[in-house]
Amino acid sequence: MRVVHYLNQFFAGLGGEEKAGALFETREGAVGPGKLLEQLLGDGAQVVMTLVSGDNYAVENQQSIIAAVLEKVREANADLFVAGPCFQAGRYGMAAGALCSAVQAKLGIPVITGMAQENPGSDLYRETLFIIDSGDNAAKMRDVLTRMATLAKKLLAKEAVGLPKEEGYIPRGLIRDHFVEKTAAERLVEMVLAKVKNEPFESEMIPTAFAPVPMPPGVRDLKKAKLMLITDGGLVPKGNPDRIQSSAATRWGSYSIKDCADLRGEDYEISHGGYDPQFVRQDPNRLVPLDVMRELEQEGVIGELYDEFISTSGLANPLSNTRRMGREMAEKAKRLGIDAIILTST
Amino acid sequence: MQLILAIHPITEIRFGENTRLDGTVLVTARDELRRLASQLPGIESVDFEIVHPGESCRAGPIFDIVEPRAKAPGGSPDWPGILGAPQTAGGGTTHVLNGAAVTLLREESPRESRGVTGFVLEMSGEAASASHYAKLSHLIVIPHSKPSLPVHAQQKAYRSAQLQIAVHLARAALDVTPDWTQKLDLSAAESRTALPRVAYVGQIFSRQRRPEAEEQILYGTDTEGMLPTLLHPNEWLDGALVPSYHTSLGGAETYFYQNHPVIAELYRRHQARELNFAGTVATIASADNFDRERSTHFAAHLVKWALKADAAVLTKFGGGVPHTDLSETARLLECEGIKTAVQVTDLARDRRVESALLFNLPEVNAIICIGGNSTKWKVPPVARVIAANSGLAEMLAGPFEIESLNVVGVANQQGASRLRSMVY
Repeated sequence: MRVVHYLNQFFAGLGGEEKAGALFETREGAVGPGKLLEQLLGDGAQVVMTLVSGDNYAVENQQSIIAAVLEKVREANADLFVAGPCFQAGRYGMAAGALCSAVQAKLGIPVITGMAQENPGSDLYRETLFIIDSGDNAAKMRDVLTRMATLAKKLLAKEAVGLPKEEGYIPRGLIRDHFVEKTAAERLVEMVLAKVKNEPFESEMIPTAFAPVPMPPGVRDLKKAKLMLITDGGLVPKGNPDRIQSSAATRWGSYSIKDCADLRGEDYEISHGGYDPQFVRQDPNRLVPLDVMRELEQEGVIGELYDEFISTSGLANPLSNTRRMGREMAEKAKRLGIDAIILTST
Repeated sequence: MQLILAIHPITEIRFGENTRLDGTVLVTARDELRRLASQLPGIESVDFEIVHPGESCRAGPIFDIVEPRAKAPGGSPDWPGILGAPQTAGGGTTHVLNGAAVTLLREESPRESRGVTGFVLEMSGEAASASHYAKLSHLIVIPHSKPSLPVHAQQKAYRSAQLQIAVHLARAALDVTPDWTQKLDLSAAESRTALPRVAYVGQIFSRQRRPEAEEQILYGTDTEGMLPTLLHPNEWLDGALVPSYHTSLGGAETYFYQNHPVIAELYRRHQARELNFAGTVATIASADNFDRERSTHFAAHLVKWALKADAAVLTKFGGGVPHTDLSETARLLECEGIKTAVQVTDLARDRRVESALLFNLPEVNAIICIGGNSTKWKVPPVARVIAANSGLAEMLAGPFEIESLNVVGVANQQGASRLRSMVY
């Protein structure tokens, strides 16, 4: 097994913070913790090359160092790429995460790294990578490297990887299905009884807290404002020209309402499961309130209504989709100089 | 209220001269069942097939699965409000053909409301091993409803036919000594006061959809305008409830009302003196905040003041929005000092934890999560495909890929599922 190992200046023995600017360099064979890694991997594993960079250099030259590392790993014909462990070292963790994810994505070989949960690299890369939770104590090097080697061997053998607490990696925030012995009902009653008795229990899902979205400043003069209508209720022109999926939609469309004062049911359809669409079918203004917006426009309450409305389907739509679509819609609205948007949902 | 289940284990269903029990074999007759079905409004003709566990067989799309049960004279009626007078269910003796099922097929694909195959019954292979229904002997009922029947009338005819056939079969057991009996009651024994009082709050419909015209859900009512209501656990088990026709609100079958996993587990622990089963509240998931506020407060109030519970377990019905009602009810209960655990389904199509729940309430911290979004099976061609017409049979012939959520029973929301979302 051919291994390429990435280290920062400190673990490569160059020096501490004073050497953080050290340039990227290549060494033959194992260096520092790489020797122990080689031993723990066993089975004739060989660290054929060690790549070293100062922490500042790596962070300031991320793109060029990624390119250089990809080239070296390819050249070395490596089976495995290892970075760190980085413990609490933030810049080191950021570099290790970036390099591992690049190697994994571009070269398709297993990668492993280790860092503390609090390392900023963990936040950025734990979804993409298996990162062994190293804690912050570098004296635990042997223990951390043991877990890194064990998991790396599993990845190389394409064996099933266990859960975070079994393998010691930082939870990736992903979900997979298991079939378990107990029915949901048995688990449910067991959990509530544990709670009643103040015994520990493990919730099967963790709620996610989202940062609040700051409220934008109010529209200064509505009489001069350009407004736009956006809905996630799935209203699309007959025939669904953009083929917006009725569930977990990945697409959105923008549809003309130019010179139109009123949406008519016969011109539209609903691409959205999960709610009863008959009322919107009867009168699409109930979802996309064009009729009243035109009245407000006529009365001069608002400046103008943009002559397209945007639509997608919000049903069972994961945040990874909706974030992207929201960004795309916001960009469009900004480009068009829209002052305010009315969002309608179902 | 006391319910006695008279259990007759069934290991095989066979066609014969007439309907009777022959040991653990349920014998029935096509002509006899056809005569019964021909008297039902809306049904032109009916076909029947029998399938057993392990058979290379697939049937679908499934309308519903019902365990054949019949009430002994003197107790509450069979299916009150649907077949019988709308009196309180759950008293007297009910004969149960345990191990058998009456499974009725739809005549059309539910298409995009549930995926083109609809719910499919797999009797062999990997998908079958994940569903309790593959362990049962099924009498498959293939209805041919009268042409130009409106959808709601067609579905009402399905329901009525299926329940009638199931009762008819189980009546063969009325004069047979059961293999064993199970007594279900909550009579408060003394010296139970130290045990925690645990209630069940179960959603029975979601207003994401309106019920179909004349839909029968609770004692024959369609639940429109319903406030959360107290039910004795026996009422759930003994015919007060059936699931909605709407395929998009899947994950509940009549079979698992009759064999309700949450109620069964609470009864089991009640009888083992680990808790006091305080009772149940049937509730609805709302479509707007006004309705939600009224409904969640009402349900929590019943649990606190009527059931005097120390703890409650909650399940949902249907899709994503019901998470909101479920979690808000749990939060209100927790604020009253009542401990809760809730059961949800996994909504994360992108397999990310951040997309899994539609709530984030610190009080609602005990969550059972039924997975399913990352499990698919490539099901092979099978020796026998049972469907209402050749087009549907062709569609189900296999091989095709099917999501676990569409194999009936796998992601059941009544507590029967063994799927668990694991965070990694």
